[in-house]
Amino acid sequence: MKKLWQIRELSTVAILVFEVLFFTWWLWPDGSRSHPFLNASNGLLILKYSAIYGIAAVGAAIVIISGGVDLSPGAVMALAGVVGAQLFVVQGWPLGPAMTIGVLVGLAAGLMSAALVVLVKLPPFIATLGVMGITRGLAFIITEGQYFDVSSKLLGGWRPLGLPADWVAPLIMLALAIVFHVLMTTFQWGRAVFAVGGNETAALFSGIAVTRVKTSVYALSGLLAGLSGVVLVLVQGQGKADLANGYELDIIASSVVGGASLAGGRGSVIGAVLGTLIFGVLRNALPQIPGATYYDRLIVGLVVIVIVVMDQLLLKRRS
Amino acid sequence: MAATSNGLQFTDVRKSFGAVKALRGVTFTVVQGEAHALMGENGAGKSTLLKVLAGILQPDEGAVHWRGERLHLRSPREALERGIGMVYQEMLSFPNLTVTGNIFAGRELTRGGRLRQAEMRERTEAILAELHLDVSPDAPADSLSVAHRQLLQVARALAFKCQILVLDEPTTSLTDGEADHLFAVLERLKAAGVTLLYVSHRLPEVFRLCDRITVLRDGAHVETCERRAVTADHVVRAMVGRELPPRATGERASWSGTAKPILSVESLARRPYFTNVTLSVSPGEIVGLFGLVGSGRSELLETIFGLFAPDAGTIRVAGELVPASSPRAAARAGIALVPEERQRQGLLFNMTIRHNLVLPDRTIKGDVLVRAGAERREAQQLVDTFRIKAAGVEVPPDSLSGGNQQKVVVAKWLATSPKVLLLDEPTKGVDVGAKFEIHEIVRREAGRGAGCLVASSDLPEVLALADRILVMREGHVQGQLAGAEATEESVMHLATHEVAS
Repeated sequence: MKKLWQIRELSTVAILVFEVLFFTWWLWPDGSRSHPFLNASNGLLILKYSAIYGIAAVGAAIVIISGGVDLSPGAVMALAGVVGAQLFVVQGWPLGPAMTIGVLVGLAAGLMSAALVVLVKLPPFIATLGVMGITRGLAFIITEGQYFDVSSKLLGGWRPLGLPADWVAPLIMLALAIVFHVLMTTFQWGRAVFAVGGNETAALFSGIAVTRVKTSVYALSGLLAGLSGVVLVLVQGQGKADLANGYELDIIASSVVGGASLAGGRGSVIGAVLGTLIFGVLRNALPQIPGATYYDRLIVGLVVIVIVVMDQLLLKRRS
Repeated sequence: MAATSNGLQFTDVRKSFGAVKALRGVTFTVVQGEAHALMGENGAGKSTLLKVLAGILQPDEGAVHWRGERLHLRSPREALERGIGMVYQEMLSFPNLTVTGNIFAGRELTRGGRLRQAEMRERTEAILAELHLDVSPDAPADSLSVAHRQLLQVARALAFKCQILVLDEPTTSLTDGEADHLFAVLERLKAAGVTLLYVSHRLPEVFRLCDRITVLRDGAHVETCERRAVTADHVVRAMVGRELPPRATGERASWSGTAKPILSVESLARRPYFTNVTLSVSPGEIVGLFGLVGSGRSELLETIFGLFAPDAGTIRVAGELVPASSPRAAARAGIALVPEERQRQGLLFNMTIRHNLVLPDRTIKGDVLVRAGAERREAQQLVDTFRIKAAGVEVPPDSLSGGNQQKVVVAKWLATSPKVLLLDEPTKGVDVGAKFEIHEIVRREAGRGAGCLVASSDLPEVLALADRILVMREGHVQGQLAGAEATEESVMHLATHEVAS
C-alpha cells in the first residue's frame, strides 16, 4: 500500500492550503470590514473561473501523461463556445442542442490532432500548434469580429437541473476529476496511457494498442476543451473569437504543477485540477494587493518554477 | 594495503544506494600496463565500480589511487582529463554528429571560441588510421555499424591520450570478426603501455586478452588471480559462489518431430531485411535462429510478432492465419516475443514490476479494470517461479540487476502461456547464472508444449539449446542443421558463405 507521504497530490494540496492561508493573512482587513479574500462569494468566484481551466486540464494532463502535449485547448474552447453561441443566439436553437454541438466541435478538433499525431506522425507539439491555429481561425471566421450575446437571451434566470448557474462549472470539474482519476488509476485504459507515456516502444511490444490509446487521449482532450468552452460562454455570457486566449499555457502549467512530467509517464488528474486552483487563487488574490497588478504574471511564472523544482527535489529524496 | 603501488589501486571502496550496498569495501590493484579483467554476475558491483572510476558516482568511503596519487573524480570530464577513457556497453555516441564530432564532443579544439575543424579532422584521421578503421571522419555516426561505433568510443579515449582504458562488455553486439578487430586494437594499445580494465561475461575473451582477473560477488572482492594459474571453471565458481548444475541437455524428452507445426511461416518477406522465409516450429520444439548482425533475424522475429507489416507471405499459429497487423493481434493468437533490448523494448521504468509483469496478460485478455490485489498475488507468484531477485513487486525495474530485469521481461510473456515463444538474444549481457536459468525456462516452456524460436548470435548457446538450427544470412534462410550435423564449424560456414546451388 502507498504510504500517505508518497501520495503526490498531498503536496499539491499543501501548497494550495499554504497559499490560501497566506492570502488570508496578507489581505486581513482593518477593523470590522469583511475579509476581501476569505468569504463565501469570493470562494465561489475562484472555483467558477478555475473550473474553466480545470475541465480542460483534465484532458490536457492525460495527454501529457501519455507522453504528448496539447497546445490547442484555449483555441478549441473559443471555437466550441462560438459555435454553441452562434447556434443558440443567431440560429435560435434551443440551449441544449446548441451547446452539445459546441462540445462535439471540440471532439472533432481533438480527433484532428489525433489524426495528425497518429496517422501523419507529426510531433504532438506541431500537430496541436496547427490545430490551435485552425480552430482559433475558424472562431474568427464564424464571428466575423462580432460577439454573440448569450446572457441577454438566457435572461439570467438559467438554473440547470435546479442549481444556481455559478455552481455548474465547479461541479462539472469535480465530477470529471473523480471520474478520470478512477479511470486513470483502476482501469486498463489508464494504465495503458501511463505505459505509452513511460516507454512507447515497450508498450507496443507488450501488446498495447498504442495508436488507439493515443487517439483516445487527444480526442478526450478536445472533447473536454469543448465542454470547458461551452461552460465559459455560459459563465461569461458572451461568445467571441478571442475567448480563452492563452489558456493553453496555464492549463499545461497546472498539469505540471500538479505532478505531471512533460517527459510522459507521470502525473495525476486530481493534481492537474488542484494545479488550476493554485493558479485560480493567485489570479483572484494578486489584483487585490495594492500595487501588485503589474507583478502578477511574474509571480505566476515564479510559482511554476518553484513548485516544479520542489517536486523534483522531493522525488530525488524519495528514491 | 599501502598506497605504494604504481598501478590503479582501489582501497576499501564502499558505495550504498539507500539500503542496498552496491560495493562493500573493494580492494585490489590493477598493475600499470596490464590487461585486467573485472568479472562478476550482474549485480556484483562491476558497473558501480566503473561509475566510480568514470567520475559518475563518488564512493561513500575508500579511495582510488593512480600511480600513488589519489583520484578525486567528480565528473566524467575530470576522469577523462586524468587519462581514464571509458568504452560503454550502451553506446553513447551522438548519432547526429560526424565521426570527428563524436570524438571531440565536449572537448572540441577551439581558437578564440571558433572550432578548429581542420585540425580536429586531421587528428581524427590519424586516430582512425591507428585503429585500422576504414571510415570517413565526416561520416555521420548513425551511418556506422555497431562495431564501428564501439571503436569510435575507443578512438575518443585515444584522442585524449588516455592511460587507462575501461571497456564495459564491448563485444556484446559484435560479430566474431569484429571482436577480433577490437582485440587486435586492444593488444596494440597494451603494447603501447595503456592499462586496460576489461569487463565481460565472456570467459574466452577474458582468457584471450587479460593478464589477471578480479572477481566481484555481491559488492565484495572475491579474488584476484593470474590468468595462467586458473581454469574457466574456477572463475565461474568464484563468480557464482556455487557449483553450476551440469548442463541439462537431454533432460527433456527429445522432440519427436511428428506433431503438426504450431507456428508456420510461409514465403514471408519484408524488404530490404529478408525475403522468402519459410519455416515451421512444432509444439515442444526449440528452433535456433542463428545469423550474424544484419542477417535479418531480429527483423524476422519482429515481423512474426506483428510489429511491422510484411510485404508478402503468411503466418499461422496452429493452422490459424494470424492477421499480421499488430503485436496485439499476434499476442492474442498466442505469439510472445522477448525482445532484444530490454531497456528500450522490454520494460516500463515509470511503473513497478507488478504492472510490468501483468501488463501483456491483462492487455491480451482485454480486461477493463485493474485489480491490484489479484495482480500483486500473480506478480509475486511470477517473482517466485522465476526466482527474480527484487525487494517486492511494487518496486520499479531499475532497482533490479540486468539479469533480473531480463527475467521480468521473460516472465511477463510466459504469464500469458504463449503457444509460440520468440526470443531475440535472450541472454545478451546477462551473467552466467541468469543465462543458465533462462535456458532452463525455455526448455520448460518447450516441455509444456510451446514452440520456441530462439534468435541468438551466441553460437554455443544456440548449439546447446536448440533441437534444430536455422541459419540466416543476408535476409535468407541459408539452411538448417539438426542434431549431430550442427557444429560450430557447420553453422558458421552456412552463416558466412554463399551456398553453391
